Amino acid sequence: MIKTQIFLAGIGGQGVLFASRLFSELGMKLGLNVLGSETHGMSQRGGSVTAHLKLGDFHSPLIRISAADILYSFAKEETYGSLKFLKRGGACFVNLGDPGGFDPAVLAHLKKKEIVFKAFDAGETASRIGFARSANIVLIGYSVGTGLVPFRYEDIKSALASVSRPKNLGINLKAFDIGVEQGSNA
Amino acid sequence: MNNEKIRVLLGNVAIARGIIESGCHVVTSYPGTPSSEIIPAVVSFKKELGLETYIEWSTNEKVAFDNALAASLTGKRAAVAMKQVGLNVASDSLMSSAYTGVVGGLVIISCDDPGPHSSQTEQDSRFHAMFAKVPVFDPSTPQEAKQMVKAAFELSEEFQIPVLLRPTIRVSHGKQSVKLLAPERLDRPANFVKDPARWAATPRYRLILHTRLNETLSKIQEKFEKDTRWNYEVAALRNSSLGIITCSASYAAIMDLLEEFGLKGRISLFKVGTPYPLPQTKIAEYVERHDNVLVIEEPDSVIEAQIIDKSKVSGRVTGHVPLQGELTPEVLYEILAKELDELGIARLKMISDTELEKLIENLDLPIRRPTLCAGCPERAAFFAIRKAFPKGIYPSDIGCYTLGLNLGAVDTVLDMGAGITFASGFYQAYNLDGNDIPIIATMGDSTFYHSGTASLLNAVYNNARFILVILDNEITAMTGMQPTPGIGVTADGSEGKSIPLEDLIQGCGIKWMKTVDPYDVAECISLLKEAREYTQKEDGGIAVIIARHPCLIRYPDVCLEKPVKVAITEECNGCMYCVDFFECPALQPDKKANVVRIDRTLCTDCGVCLQVCPRGAIVPFATHKNQEKES
Repeated sequence: MIKTQIFLAGIGGQGVLFASRLFSELGMKLGLNVLGSETHGMSQRGGSVTAHLKLGDFHSPLIRISAADILYSFAKEETYGSLKFLKRGGACFVNLGDPGGFDPAVLAHLKKKEIVFKAFDAGETASRIGFARSANIVLIGYSVGTGLVPFRYEDIKSALASVSRPKNLGINLKAFDIGVEQGSNA
Repeated sequence: MNNEKIRVLLGNVAIARGIIESGCHVVTSYPGTPSSEIIPAVVSFKKELGLETYIEWSTNEKVAFDNALAASLTGKRAAVAMKQVGLNVASDSLMSSAYTGVVGGLVIISCDDPGPHSSQTEQDSRFHAMFAKVPVFDPSTPQEAKQMVKAAFELSEEFQIPVLLRPTIRVSHGKQSVKLLAPERLDRPANFVKDPARWAATPRYRLILHTRLNETLSKIQEKFEKDTRWNYEVAALRNSSLGIITCSASYAAIMDLLEEFGLKGRISLFKVGTPYPLPQTKIAEYVERHDNVLVIEEPDSVIEAQIIDKSKVSGRVTGHVPLQGELTPEVLYEILAKELDELGIARLKMISDTELEKLIENLDLPIRRPTLCAGCPERAAFFAIRKAFPKGIYPSDIGCYTLGLNLGAVDTVLDMGAGITFASGFYQAYNLDGNDIPIIATMGDSTFYHSGTASLLNAVYNNARFILVILDNEITAMTGMQPTPGIGVTADGSEGKSIPLEDLIQGCGIKWMKTVDPYDVAECISLLKEAREYTQKEDGGIAVIIARHPCLIRYPDVCLEKPVKVAITEECNGCMYCVDFFECPALQPDKKANVVRIDRTLCTDCGVCLQVCPRGAIVPFATHKNQEKES
């Protein structure tokens, strides 16, 4: 993994900033330079929250349009506006129960750009294990399970252990593993 | 090195770390995006390292500035942090302190907000530095910001002058792996040395101080000419006809873009870290060596304006750089591509995806505008105000409650404190013509402590008549839950003295003041009407209502005395009154079914909406059976 640009999108309270911390920690553990940018301030609950994260040798904390390798979107309606950041051949993982609910013309366009579009109901899976707020980690686990992202299972797990609050660690690791399992079966 | 560690830090946290590593003794601030994270990070490093730093949330930026400056006069190191418009509030002190100078290092951090993302202007703090005649450092990354804080303290002490650090939002809210160093420990007992010719200078001495200031600035400029840490050339491997002079976050983005253009090492760059005083000789020499020079900086043209020979320079003056808005990587892409193409410099092309943009545009997605949280007591107060006086004028102020705009209950937002001054100004203007209209000003508790009293004193003194509703949620919510003088907790969580709003309001000469919980909309409306009568009485005046209810986000455990789960009945005919005039995010219009539904993930069970529906279609869940229109 040399240079990776990750775009994260969601609504306040969905754990966009936690996911950004997780990937920052991953970069640190791999000895990479970490750069990123976050939404703070006016966005409280219900507002759009995005995070840019760049691992490797970059100068600017911002991802340019058509440059991101990976997009994680924790809310369906935040996905459309974020897709422009993905590069040709990139991959996106969307917290979405019904892929049919996504605009077919946009999906066809993504296919033309060789972008892998993976929809997965991380919210439902997270609710099933009794911790709805860990949908972000389920989705990241799912992406690792598919083998479409350059992150190693053990590396994310160890980063997760470093950034989780002690009382949440157990549930986070469980959420991650369930996501990985679902991803590898996908 | 043993104590050298690397951590990923937010830019503002890196600045806080720089303050701590510089052995700074006193840190003050008033919160404002994008500067608010600095103080909490200083508190956290202080606790982590067991330091004795004095840290305060001051009541406003001028107060913060003066407190830090006074500490510097005793020989201690001091820092004061604020957002760029906060520096307007502190600018009286800034201007004068440039003349008097400092003793211990004084670093002013003023965070700019090109965009603007969360501010009323896109003003450039570097112009403020130039205006006041103090040096300014302009960091491009969190790591550099931390190093510049230390350099700023050293410069400040060497030349006895206040020094500004100007991070833009992309530095303050960017994050990066940053090297941590051990904090310096400076043992400096407070020792104020009297020197009235300097600290209490009259105009005669001020001329002498101004002369000294000018001499100091030219010495600092000489120093910056030689200092290659902050002002340096990123040279091209071969001669490059184009040169780019840039700084701050734009520098970082341009470095990445040149690589994407396949031009890394082919175009030369000059990175400016001290835009004032500008290293003029170095810049002139750089301009001389290139056929064309592009100047890119934000939000305004501080460097470009100072370049003496502009014959080869393109930038804002020539229309190459937009006059407003943030220089995002996309905007910079356009600027660079245009310049390179004009000069016939070959580059890799990056295809923009206009087709995707069109597809997304056609989806006609709803715009997610910022809105008050579900259950916010301020929404309830705004609803009552609008209902009581549908034809009133509503001057308001800066805070979460600016979003009362969405409910049509906020007509003006100028700056901190103008909610009250606009109310008195409107009153006097209408009163001249003998017209009496309801004026209902709103202001938050923290804003009232910041600049409400001066405005209210003036209004009372000059016989203005209006209603002031203070929205007291017992916290500075918008900027991230900083304590207020009302709750009497200080920046590091220790106990301060609580100053109740009531005492202040009475002290301003207000004779009619009542308190209400805005969740009780009917009571709120009846109180508003009573207040209006008082403003119209012969011996009446300004009426103040304190609408008090704790913020739901800050005080989740105590904010709801009696949670009420609500439901929507078949009576709902889709009139959208609740959506338009109450605008709670938990009340979601279902346009297809022409009804409103409750989003249970957002609803806080505050029960206020029970008082909103004109048809009575919102009812307590407990009284409602089998008819709920929820999918």
